[in-house]
Amino acid sequence: MITIYSHSTDPYYNLAFEEYIFTALREEDVFLLWRNRPCVVVGSYQNICREVRFPALRQRGVPVLRRISGGGTVYHDPGNVNYSLITRQESGGADYGPGLSLILEALGAAGVPARRDRTSDLVIGTEKISGNAQRVAGGRLLHHGTLLFDADLEALEELSVRGKGGHIRSRGTPSVVRAVTNIRPHLAEDMTIEAFQERLLDYMVPDAACRLEPTAEHAAAAARLAEEKYHSWEWTWGKTPAFTCHRSGILGGEPVTISYQARKGVLSAPRIDSPLIDGGRAAALLDGARLDPAELEDVCRILAGEHAAALWEMLL
Amino acid sequence: MEKQLSLPRLRAEMTSGVLCAWLKEEGEPVAAGEPLYEIETDKVVNQIEAPEPGVLKKQLREEGDELTPGAPVAILETE
Repeated sequence: MITIYSHSTDPYYNLAFEEYIFTALREEDVFLLWRNRPCVVVGSYQNICREVRFPALRQRGVPVLRRISGGGTVYHDPGNVNYSLITRQESGGADYGPGLSLILEALGAAGVPARRDRTSDLVIGTEKISGNAQRVAGGRLLHHGTLLFDADLEALEELSVRGKGGHIRSRGTPSVVRAVTNIRPHLAEDMTIEAFQERLLDYMVPDAACRLEPTAEHAAAAARLAEEKYHSWEWTWGKTPAFTCHRSGILGGEPVTISYQARKGVLSAPRIDSPLIDGGRAAALLDGARLDPAELEDVCRILAGEHAAALWEMLL
Repeated sequence: MEKQLSLPRLRAEMTSGVLCAWLKEEGEPVAAGEPLYEIETDKVVNQIEAPEPGVLKKQLREEGDELTPGAPVAILETE
């Protein structure tokens, strides 16, 4: 087992770095530890509109990204340690057992009293500290997970999907909301997050000669993938499963109903019924528009003037 | 020759999976080992590769469909 350090906290770069190591370093078993500045990450096959609360994200200036593994939506910040375990996978039958056992041993060695719960969660007591997901491709297994060490649980709570309306009818993987806790308060002996990472690494990659700095080639390839894939609208938004949105509410003190369909992130059959909005113009501007927060914001400003922000929240 | 491709059983306890992405369009040529489609089951995205070279003649199921192991997924036109 080797490790390659990522010194970046850029989530786009780190997701790309992980994917690059997964697809390009085919001969090695690799363990990665990485941390991101605040961001929300949806699963490969999730409906971004159903899983993510955009007003809260915008207020906090937090971006949303899409990853290549399955499962639900997670929150990352510098108090959360992400780990990746990349190994050979001869046949199809991937399982969480080996990866979770290994990380539980590493956590145990660091003094963390965690255990496995359900298919792919780790808990302390009954509260979740780690969500895990996998991808199997080209004879390789990527097993990765979050480790809430000292994360901002208030932000996590606010940005989670809890309470988001049922106005979206969509296929795609739903998120499971569970009570969470940080690892740090459960430690018998307190340590910094850097020390925590060091302890995990000491268990997983004890040989110092197997701890590598990224080469210029690794860094350049990851940066390119970050730009071409993880920053792209096509990956983050265009991968959203087809869905229909139908909701009614109040806009500027008047009743409003909104409906549209979206396929590959592009709107069709849009309809807004409101005494404050020109329905014909709304249909013309929204038909063929992309599910893109900035693009829809411009449309809302044209359509609803001072009520633009409220309309935008209803559209997303 | 037309060959029907079925969803493999990806783990012993697998009961179903969701077809989450087609990676080839109908009519596209594929090499052996090239990715064809993705199946999600238990938070695992499994990329399924073509067993032999050919042309993807027909996608038998749509993105979002839930499939059981052994279900027909695609028709591959082979030499």
